[in-house]
Amino acid sequence: MNLAIETENLAKRYGDVTAVEHLSLRVAEGEIYAFLGLNGAGKTTTIRMLLGMIKPTAGCAHVLGTRVRLGRREPWASVGYLVELPHCYPELTVRENLEVARRLHPGTPSQAVSRFIERLGLAEYADRRAGTLSQGNAQRLGLAKALLHEPRLLLLDEPANGLDPAGIVEIRALLLELTRERGVTVFMSSHILAEVARLAQRIGIIHAGRLLQELDVAELERKRQRRLLVRARDMEAAHRVLTAAGQPAGILPDGTIELRNTAAVAHPDDIASLLVGAGVPPTQLMVEEEELEQYFLRLVGSSGGAK
Amino acid sequence: MKDLSNMIWIELRKAFRSRMPLFTTVGSLFMPLGIAFLIFVATHPEISGRLGLVGAKANLMAYAATNWPTYLALLAQMIAAGGFFLFCLIICWVFGREFADGTLKDLLAVPVQRASILLAKFSVAGVWSVALTLVIFGVGLVMGAIIGLPQGSPGALLQGSALVAITACLTIAVVMPFAFFASVGRGYLLPIGIAILALMMANLVGVLGWGAYFPWAVPGLFAQGKGYVTPISYPIALLTGLAGMIGTYLWWKYADQSR
Repeated sequence: MNLAIETENLAKRYGDVTAVEHLSLRVAEGEIYAFLGLNGAGKTTTIRMLLGMIKPTAGCAHVLGTRVRLGRREPWASVGYLVELPHCYPELTVRENLEVARRLHPGTPSQAVSRFIERLGLAEYADRRAGTLSQGNAQRLGLAKALLHEPRLLLLDEPANGLDPAGIVEIRALLLELTRERGVTVFMSSHILAEVARLAQRIGIIHAGRLLQELDVAELERKRQRRLLVRARDMEAAHRVLTAAGQPAGILPDGTIELRNTAAVAHPDDIASLLVGAGVPPTQLMVEEEELEQYFLRLVGSSGGAK
Repeated sequence: MKDLSNMIWIELRKAFRSRMPLFTTVGSLFMPLGIAFLIFVATHPEISGRLGLVGAKANLMAYAATNWPTYLALLAQMIAAGGFFLFCLIICWVFGREFADGTLKDLLAVPVQRASILLAKFSVAGVWSVALTLVIFGVGLVMGAIIGLPQGSPGALLQGSALVAITACLTIAVVMPFAFFASVGRGYLLPIGIAILALMMANLVGVLGWGAYFPWAVPGLFAQGKGYVTPISYPIALLTGLAGMIGTYLWWKYADQSR
């Protein structure tokens, strides 16, 4: 497996404050890897270390096979990035900002500017000063700058920031297309967990500078908690029937009966039969899957609580 | 070389699209126009009498500059003081804006040598400062001719021009460290604060007699043309500029950039 990103015990400390600690990541080429964490968890510091903007206190990082060092030219010809807010030169037009980005990546054809203006839906604003753009369009400009030289690796910090729902769908489609058709690797941090769940193949969860867990989408499916929610006209009787049948049934604040055991979740029809047989037919049976958001908060909470 | 020309294109585009060329040109025009006005007032007692404080100031300052050699020396002194601030402003803007606008990060992980990016910035700031010097000098010559200054022999004009040119070069050299201060301070405030402090210190050390060894006093003392500087003053000013450029390079290359 070729690795696009590899870090070994990467750490960054500012005096007594530890921003990132013992971070060992492996991101395969062609993969979409999402980096999840609360504000201040160490996501941006990690991305800056991967880009050689910040020197690690300990450990090392390799990007596209090259060891990252401050002030080097390699391997940036093949890396596109968007770190934190998408800043640009406000007095230059959108087109001029992209021309600046093109010249910072020698060898990028001049037609790329017009192509990415079209691709990112910026044609209407091409000759407008970038300082007048809305947050969403500034984000599109930031993404266009990252994509302009057709990199093999994209490091994107909150790529959906400021985009409207249509923009989010558009960028998702673009990233998926780049990954599938051109084998581009995407390493992205995001707060929009539903978006991550739709896009990423692997997810890394970072909290207080430490990588808590790395899992792929299949693993996430397995680890997500599921529960069967039951409602009946006579909730007390239904609860008695289920408990008598050996089902560890809990009651939620709104009175709904909650069953978490695997058998009940896998076969809600058995529970329905049981209740019908006991003369307490269910009015509602629903299998609910834990969202990534809940999973994330549960994981972060169990590691010391969200700050 | 291709990288450098690309970086110069970028810096020029950023500069020309901003309002800074306009502001600095207007600022530079105040110097020759102001001196010419004071000389004009000083040489016309019927006007200076009516202008009160301005007339008194004109009489105090500009009587001495009623011929070409002293007029050009006054212009050189203006460049050493007012030009210093303008050149400082330019270099602070060229470097500090990347931090203030948050665009620095777009210059860091790119396949272009950091040295090329910085050399382009220093070159554009330098050429811009030279252009302002030419504006000040050119407008100064025109104004001198309009108010009809005497003793405008070719020799005197050549000597005055050399004084202005060397003063401008020394001033440009001593503003180079402000690129470093703008980078360390991540914006404009620190370098502008240090520029004010440097000019105050230059006056103080000048009074104490150590001005020839204080880089930011050297252009002003040289412009006075009375042997205030010593042969060591020139390398001190030039090495200060070089140290500023090297310091800026090392800062951009090795310091953590978290903005």
